[in-house]
Amino acid sequence: MTRQEIESEVKKIFLREFEVENPEMDLDLREAYAFDSIDAIELLLGIEKFLGSELTQEEKKQAMDIRTINQICDYVEKLVATRKDAPGVN
Amino acid sequence: MSPIKIFQNASALFITLLIWVYFLIGSTVFFLFGHIPACLFSKNRASAFQNLNHINMGIFFALTRFLIPRTKFIIQKEVLQIHSSVIVCNHLSYLDPILLISFFKQNCTIVKSTFFRVPFFGWLLRNSFYMPSSVGEVQGQSMVENIENIKKHLAAGGNFFVFPEGTRSRDGRLAPFNKGAFSIARYCNAPLKLVYIKNTNKLFQPGTFLFKTHDNIEIELELIGTLTPDYVSDNFSISAVVDDVRNVFEQRIKR
Repeated sequence: MTRQEIESEVKKIFLREFEVENPEMDLDLREAYAFDSIDAIELLLGIEKFLGSELTQEEKKQAMDIRTINQICDYVEKLVATRKDAPGVN
Repeated sequence: MSPIKIFQNASALFITLLIWVYFLIGSTVFFLFGHIPACLFSKNRASAFQNLNHINMGIFFALTRFLIPRTKFIIQKEVLQIHSSVIVCNHLSYLDPILLISFFKQNCTIVKSTFFRVPFFGWLLRNSFYMPSSVGEVQGQSMVENIENIKKHLAAGGNFFVFPEGTRSRDGRLAPFNKGAFSIARYCNAPLKLVYIKNTNKLFQPGTFLFKTHDNIEIELELIGTLTPDYVSDNFSISAVVDDVRNVFEQRIKR
């Protein structure tokens, strides 16, 4: 999955779950959209859905300090890489 | 003021004081001889705390029934049979959450954030796995832990009850719903049981100190709907679920 595809998926989640269209990549989500930890939980469910695998509790905790869309994309990129490197995953 | 009214007010004050004195003393006794030993020796602290809260509030309502016999409690057996669910309720009075705690041994709920800052009481709430109402009170990582705890609690047969209005209704109408509780239900993949609470505000009105001890009041808990949303569907929308739940409550209130 390329960075562009990840960005597009993350933006789709924002539109579907939070009705936010085309959010700016480096905007602080808490300040701009009053994004809170319950929203972060919704976001994680969306990420699990498009990755097609459950996140571990540790992975979820790592996501809770994220503040911008760019950071979300970095986070997802890391998750994708981890899953690719995991034994038995092509 | 007529002598009858004076007598009624005096007896209402006396009964109210008795009930709240039990609340304070009972909670202190439970804290010293229940919660502290459970904290030290119980393998499942949260479950032990929830059970102790359930017994304490059970006694509180037994005393209330005894002292205010004109108030009847009509609780549907379907309500008492609910398990492993997120129970969504309308909110009329401070009595609502403690009434639900008195009926469910394994109980978990969202509590006003300010109570978490009260010494001892805040500790008791946290260790019962209750959640503060303001998400700002919960640091992100603790939020994951809290919700994972609720997930396990539901899987073990417990209930998580919520008041999505967030505040007590002063006129019987529904306030706007907060969607946070529904996000938690989604995370836990839990069914929603909609329980309509009636007349707790007549027994203990918001903004007053005295229990209404001389009116004939029927407090009811009624299961008015069950929703099992397809949380993983591509078409799933949390706002649609919130609207569905709200509709069910509005239809019931109109009756």
